[in-house]
Amino acid sequence: MNVIVLLKQVPDTESIIEIADDGASIKTEDVKWVVNPYDELAVEEALQVVEKNGEGQVTVLSAGIKQAETAIRSALAMGAHEGILIEDERLERADTTATGQVLAAALKKIPHDLIIAGQRAVDGDNYLVPAIVAESLDLPILPVIIKESIADGKITCEQVIQGGTMVVEADLPAVITTQRGLNEPRYASMPKIMKAKKKKIASLSLDEIGITDDSLFSNPKIRVESLQVPQKSRAGIIVEGGTPAEKADNLLRHLREDAQVI
Amino acid sequence: MTTERDSIEFDALFVGGGVSSLAGAIRLMQMAKEKAMELEVGIIEKGSEIGSHSIMNPIALQELLPDYDSLNCPIEQTVRGDGFYYLTRKKAWRVPMVPRQMHNQGFLIISLARFARWLGEIAEEMGVNIFPGFSGQEVLYGEDGKTVTGVRTGDNGLDANGKAKSNFEAGIDILAKVTVFGEGARGNLSKSLIEKLGLSSQCLPQVYETGIKEVIQLPEENFFSHNPVNDIHTMGYPLGLNVPGGGFLYQMKDNRIAIGYLTGLCYEDPGIDPYDLFMSFKRHPFIFDIIKGGRVVEQGARTVSSGGHYTIPRLATDGAVLIGAAAGIHNTPALKGIHVGMKSGMLAAEAIAEALEKKDVSGASLERYRRLLDDSWVHPEIYEGRNFAPALAMKGMKKWIHLGAQYLSKGRGIIDPLPLDADYETLRVLNTAPTETTDNMDYDGSLMVDKLTGVYLSKTQHREDQPSHLIIKDPQLCIDTCYPTYGSPCTRFCPAKVYELETDEITGQRQLKLNPSNCLHCKTCDIKDPYQNINWVCPEGSGGPGYTTV
Repeated sequence: MNVIVLLKQVPDTESIIEIADDGASIKTEDVKWVVNPYDELAVEEALQVVEKNGEGQVTVLSAGIKQAETAIRSALAMGAHEGILIEDERLERADTTATGQVLAAALKKIPHDLIIAGQRAVDGDNYLVPAIVAESLDLPILPVIIKESIADGKITCEQVIQGGTMVVEADLPAVITTQRGLNEPRYASMPKIMKAKKKKIASLSLDEIGITDDSLFSNPKIRVESLQVPQKSRAGIIVEGGTPAEKADNLLRHLREDAQVI
Repeated sequence: MTTERDSIEFDALFVGGGVSSLAGAIRLMQMAKEKAMELEVGIIEKGSEIGSHSIMNPIALQELLPDYDSLNCPIEQTVRGDGFYYLTRKKAWRVPMVPRQMHNQGFLIISLARFARWLGEIAEEMGVNIFPGFSGQEVLYGEDGKTVTGVRTGDNGLDANGKAKSNFEAGIDILAKVTVFGEGARGNLSKSLIEKLGLSSQCLPQVYETGIKEVIQLPEENFFSHNPVNDIHTMGYPLGLNVPGGGFLYQMKDNRIAIGYLTGLCYEDPGIDPYDLFMSFKRHPFIFDIIKGGRVVEQGARTVSSGGHYTIPRLATDGAVLIGAAAGIHNTPALKGIHVGMKSGMLAAEAIAEALEKKDVSGASLERYRRLLDDSWVHPEIYEGRNFAPALAMKGMKKWIHLGAQYLSKGRGIIDPLPLDADYETLRVLNTAPTETTDNMDYDGSLMVDKLTGVYLSKTQHREDQPSHLIIKDPQLCIDTCYPTYGSPCTRFCPAKVYELETDEITGQRQLKLNPSNCLHCKTCDIKDPYQNINWVCPEGSGGPGYTTV
């Protein structure tokens, strides 16, 4: 069983993000970079699939610049067997279409039975790359799942829908994307970190995977025009009152007079 | 519960990834190269770390990496001129004579977080194994019960009740021929090591100052744009002259400044809140004029061990040494610890390299580190300040007479050594009924931020669902004894609002509520709690503040 994890390096969710002078990107100088949290779930699930299956291997695939190697190494330290980085400066600012097509092009050369990706990267929040990969490879995609099991060449998943779950099934190979609750990602142990440090991460150029069309990057389908920081949420208030009825009255008053929503 | 534990072996293990450890590890790799030895060197670091001062005397760095400039060392500024001010409530007086220990011209202003990251990269390139996110849980000893054999790391994946979750990962035993404790001031493993082996039985108690610090983004045109002074220290308001402490302000890169306030933890008034003092300092007209129009971009807090020469414990024991702030190596009159800390790490490395070569890592063999330190430039610097902390802790005229005598006699003063009390012993009993903590400061959320916004700006994070890393030995004592006697000073001295007093609406029962996930790892509570009822232990690895620039 060859399981591929699509991995993205993103700014730490605790980092305080500042918008760069161009207004359309962020300042990266003091940003701490981490593995996209949804991709950590993907690595964990991939390891569990291989462990349950008794054989196979987990390959981590990322597209980006050299520094993404540290994210791949984190996945290797969790136990992934192999890491591949498609490395090109242009990938740093690539849109979702370009990223998806690049990953798909690489996957055409890498044997895969199951592809697991985070439902979205927490930096761009696009939810698109896994779907573009699936479409480009003509594979089924089962998004936002909280449980999976594999038998007889089929994968069965519980998918989160509004107010409940839905059980879905597809033939392998397939693409699945993760939702919180799928698992608790394991910690990297120190001996595994030592081993991961010594592992070689394969580097592929765009040429090597057959991407020669520069217009993917020079003329992207989607361009970021501008970025804004979210408005600060206001502090909440605790509604006072001696009895539940009094509290309800006071709440109504707040809603009418202060918030002016009713 | 018996747990299967992995173990891993190193020749030398540094506990704590601050600048003293990093300098030590780099020096050790240099020594290994000179001696053509193969050494496996590891550093564990529980999270990110901070030091309280960012003016550095470059002497140790010049010795360690003479070509630091071409290696892109992240230097913010060079000190152009010092300003030393005495503040009254409304006014500032420039002290005409800056004490000789505080001449900083030509020294480097650095962001300790950036500087440590830079040293870390150099160390890794030289082959040092750095493990961020691993906390030390206990010191491992050999069969004789006194030879240090390494460190056990903390378990990961425990829930709030201490039960293993599905991703539980037991801590591992890191065994090392020599373990180097460089955890910074009041490191929890150093504390247990010093206590167990009685390493400070011949010493005065260590004393501390709590520093709270911010990085503020100023407008393009600001006080430092055209000022020959870019390094300001103050004494006086708001702390007054009786308690050691004071304010500082340095220019950084890109119109940013570092500003901070130190409060000596030997204070007596249980009502003191170091965070409020820092806010009052920022509101002083002289300081406010410098920072107005600015925005706080980062905040942090840390204690500094400021006792000096007579508080330094025995530095070497069988299989282990202590370096940097964990050993109290600090130049108190100069308010500087970085260069002496780095040098202590480097000299420890030289002794370790030789001990490993001779295959003798006994305390007697590692004792050579202390001799190297005593023969280096570190010793006269620290020795001159040997009576400074006890004199600073005095009140009224006495303080100035002692300080003056020391200034003229190269530190000897009138009594040598002067006695010193531990910080937890100094609080005065309340003579009025305790009052609840009130927060009546005016915060604008941008230049003036409250404690919780400060916690956010420190980027501190802990996995919520884990056992508390602040152990209250006797919770009843907090309510029955400490509250009526001192009015629960933990609710004030903690800069991160970790401790709150709650009153049950129905029963009127008081209870101490802990918010461990706010913790900035400054260790003030472990030091100042008058009953020594709080024990600070490492939370799960990678928890804690995520400083990037302070």
